Amino acid sequence: MTARVRRRTILAFLGPAVTALAAVGILPLGYAVWKSLHDFNLTRIARQKFVGLDNYVAVLGDPVFWAAVGRTAMLFVIAVPIQIALGLMIALVLHRPGLGFWKTLTRLSLVLPMATTYAVVGLLAQVMLNQKYGVVNQMLGWIGIDPINFIGDPTNAFIAVVLWDIWQWTPFVALVLLAGLSTVPPEIEEAARLETKSGWTILRHVQLPFLVPSLVAVLILRTADTLKLFDMPFTMTRGGPGSATEFIAVLIERVGNRQFDIGMAAAQSIIMLAITIVLARLYIRLFYREVR
Amino acid sequence: MAAPVRRPHLWAEGLLLLLIGLFCVFPFYWMVTTSLKTQVVALESPPVWWFTPTLANYWEVLFVDRVGPALINSIIVAVCTTALAVGLGTPAAYALARFEFRGKRDLWFWFITNRFVSPVVLAFPVFLIAREVGLRDTHLALILMYLTFTLPIVIWICTDQFRSIPYELDEAAMLEGASQWRIFRSICLPLAMPGVAVSSILSFIFSWNELLFAYILAPKAAKTAPAMAVTFMEGYDVPYGKIMATATLIVVPVLIFALLASKHLVRGLTMGAVK
Amino acid sequence: MTFKSHISAVALAAASLAGLAGAAQAWSLEEAAKPYAGTVVDVVFLDRPGYNAIREMLPEFEAATGITINITTMPYENALGEQVRDFVAGGDLDLALIDLVWIGNFAENGWIVPIEEFTSNPDLVDPELDLEDFFPLVLNAFGAWNGVVYGLPIDNYSGLLFYNRCMLEEAGFDRPPETWEELKDVYGPALTGDGRYAFALQSKRNETQSADSFARMLWPFGGSFLNAEFRSNLNSPESQAGLQFRQELMAYMPPGIVAYDHAETVNALAQGDVAMITEWSAFYTTLVSPETSKVADCIEVAPEPMGPAGRKPALGGFSLAVATQADEAERAAGWLFIQWATSKANAETYLRKGGVPARQSVYQIPGIAEEFKFVPALVESWQEGVPEFRPRFAEWPTISEIVQEWGTKMMLGEVSIEDGAREIGTRMEAVLEDAGYYSGEKPLVQ
Repeated sequence: MTARVRRRTILAFLGPAVTALAAVGILPLGYAVWKSLHDFNLTRIARQKFVGLDNYVAVLGDPVFWAAVGRTAMLFVIAVPIQIALGLMIALVLHRPGLGFWKTLTRLSLVLPMATTYAVVGLLAQVMLNQKYGVVNQMLGWIGIDPINFIGDPTNAFIAVVLWDIWQWTPFVALVLLAGLSTVPPEIEEAARLETKSGWTILRHVQLPFLVPSLVAVLILRTADTLKLFDMPFTMTRGGPGSATEFIAVLIERVGNRQFDIGMAAAQSIIMLAITIVLARLYIRLFYREVR
Repeated sequence: MAAPVRRPHLWAEGLLLLLIGLFCVFPFYWMVTTSLKTQVVALESPPVWWFTPTLANYWEVLFVDRVGPALINSIIVAVCTTALAVGLGTPAAYALARFEFRGKRDLWFWFITNRFVSPVVLAFPVFLIAREVGLRDTHLALILMYLTFTLPIVIWICTDQFRSIPYELDEAAMLEGASQWRIFRSICLPLAMPGVAVSSILSFIFSWNELLFAYILAPKAAKTAPAMAVTFMEGYDVPYGKIMATATLIVVPVLIFALLASKHLVRGLTMGAVK
Repeated sequence: MTFKSHISAVALAAASLAGLAGAAQAWSLEEAAKPYAGTVVDVVFLDRPGYNAIREMLPEFEAATGITINITTMPYENALGEQVRDFVAGGDLDLALIDLVWIGNFAENGWIVPIEEFTSNPDLVDPELDLEDFFPLVLNAFGAWNGVVYGLPIDNYSGLLFYNRCMLEEAGFDRPPETWEELKDVYGPALTGDGRYAFALQSKRNETQSADSFARMLWPFGGSFLNAEFRSNLNSPESQAGLQFRQELMAYMPPGIVAYDHAETVNALAQGDVAMITEWSAFYTTLVSPETSKVADCIEVAPEPMGPAGRKPALGGFSLAVATQADEAERAAGWLFIQWATSKANAETYLRKGGVPARQSVYQIPGIAEEFKFVPALVESWQEGVPEFRPRFAEWPTISEIVQEWGTKMMLGEVSIEDGAREIGTRMEAVLEDAGYYSGEKPLVQ
């Protein structure tokens, strides 16, 4: 239920928030666009010059940039299905009746990984995955697996990032899907259980339709977060070894912060932003339909 | 419930729950125990599980390595940005929930899109702007930049919350001649307090966890705790115990908040997509 | 400490006291600092032994002068970025900590002040300053750019060969390898096996890859980054031989060497997992102290092995310079601090607290060479090092990034030595072209 009110009232309520968000969100963006048209390096400020779209041409033709984009997409394609599969399993277990107290406790423990400071997650990985001093390798040793050089080998380092992403975000996916499962009307579910004993049939035909919104939400948010992923690989591998874990945000940080090439970094981030917005619009149009 | 649960099943299920719980909690256990180890113990190979704990790492990081002041900076920044986001966001959320106007959908979409923008896009231009206006290395710069993610969260959750308040209350008040501002302040806001609380906690958690802006904008005086944690990664010596002590100090407050808001955390992270 | 060095320390103290008394009327730190008491000087330090030594000595300086030195400690990885952003933003750093490869960059941007401004001012210059006492190579490489001295060397390294004598003896060697070839062909196979390795070369993808790994193998084999015309020299037979050698040497290094930074490498030797490393002199203390090293008693030091082109050991280190953005009092106070920290009089204290001074005189003090095993190798290395071991021009940070990326790829076998070198060459020349070296806009100085 909504009301028509005077313009001034609307302005008074919305104005401050819009102004503030425009100041911190749009203004710098405009500045970034402007700088992306310049040859602008912090160590050569005196010699900055307008170069038009040169930076964009350079970025679009740069295999390093596309490798980082590909790597980011790869992480998404590998990690997210595993997160959904494991998350769904956990959600189904938690959804079953019985063991109420223990399930509440498990639910609480599921909250922890996703709230953990992402930078700390990377540091933790460094400590736990170390080939010599790491507890993960010790545990692998107990089941007869030789120590794995997680951080030092390009393939392993990528796998380590995937594993750590799975650790941090599977609980999140599980909780989102659990919330989805609880939208299934109990009477429908009970009726289905009387008809079949197969959990799979129930999942496929009764629960899945209700899970679609949750699954879409998971896809949207994991896409956004994967594109943004910076803190964890930065503190864990700094993008290495080589460029094995140089995801797009890590690459941009390196160009801007270590090569001081702000113009190039700006062009890269604008392209990344374009990718983000296209994906976000697509997803949000598909999903958030409720507000008018 | 329909079918009576059979015993062996229950055992398997309990075991599964235990495994899930361990999977989630074990890294924290390892973090805390490592923070209590001396460097020599931390570098034992294979890692040791039983040792004499020491608090030396905490003492050292808090008072020698300036993690103490960094934690205080983190608190200042997170609290201020949360307060600001609530102050700016609740009226906006109220307007989105209660008023009818053109472009509402687009405005809402724009608020939400901010959730998707990577900080790395804004960080460098903001650094240059902060340099021009003298905001570099100040709390204010971080407080303002953190609005890019705290404000959308407050707006999302509170819009939802305001919508759940019966509109009849507004109408009754309007008949008595109350202004929209009065209705917002005295009727709806108090009723929306649960939403305000949840969005505050989430804003706090997200601001507390932020690394990239802090790393680039606040090198010294306003340096926050996550940015501080990164500075221990000198290639000459990796002090595991100290790193984990810092990590523990950073993580414990957010975990407490996360547990407090556990029911709503998922909602916040999904921007309300999941109720 | 030996009895002899006791005597010499006393003698030195007496001598310096006498010197102080003699110059007292003319100049003293206390007098010089009087106008600047209360000034706060902001500086970036790293968390390395040399800086910790200065930090320990600092109370004495602060008490004598009333100047406060406000130190921000950060990892090397961040030090360049933080300082560049501070100088660009007109921040509050009053001194610049300059890795030798940053000096061209800092000088060309006008961020640092030539020491002339202070040495020409009798109120500020210590009569004992004696610039000639610095190793000329070190002063030139670390502190000077294009013939102008900006900074004084504070944290000084030469690459050295640290080796585990016990492991070598066990394998039947009574001396360390003299040449790189010998290290690879004779020592390599004999010392590798059972989870232990003959050698470790820190090669992580950061400055470590370009300085400690890539450049280290280039020079002894006669290679270099650039030829006289500033074109890439990486595909010359000599450069290729060096890089090829590095690739072959990896057979005797622990797996995952591309993730090894200094800490991992030093630790590998300290834990007895590796028999030899080539590392900076600064790690001596870590390696010989029983608290941080399991094999403290076995550690010996030698100069880096020689290549076909001679001994061209890695050269690295930092100088401190006054920043242009500091105000007048901060400049003067900052200079007094730099002058004090690098002084002849403080060199021995600095050495004993874990630093490595660049003063020639301190190494001539009787007993020092015996007490600090790395001294003879260090002094020898500083006679014949290459200042442009890594080019020091403003473009180095950008080029270093390129070397780091492709150098690591080479080691990982993702690209062949030849193609990788060509790739670096092309990209490096593009950077130099952009900077204006080929159009004659900029002089060919490295």
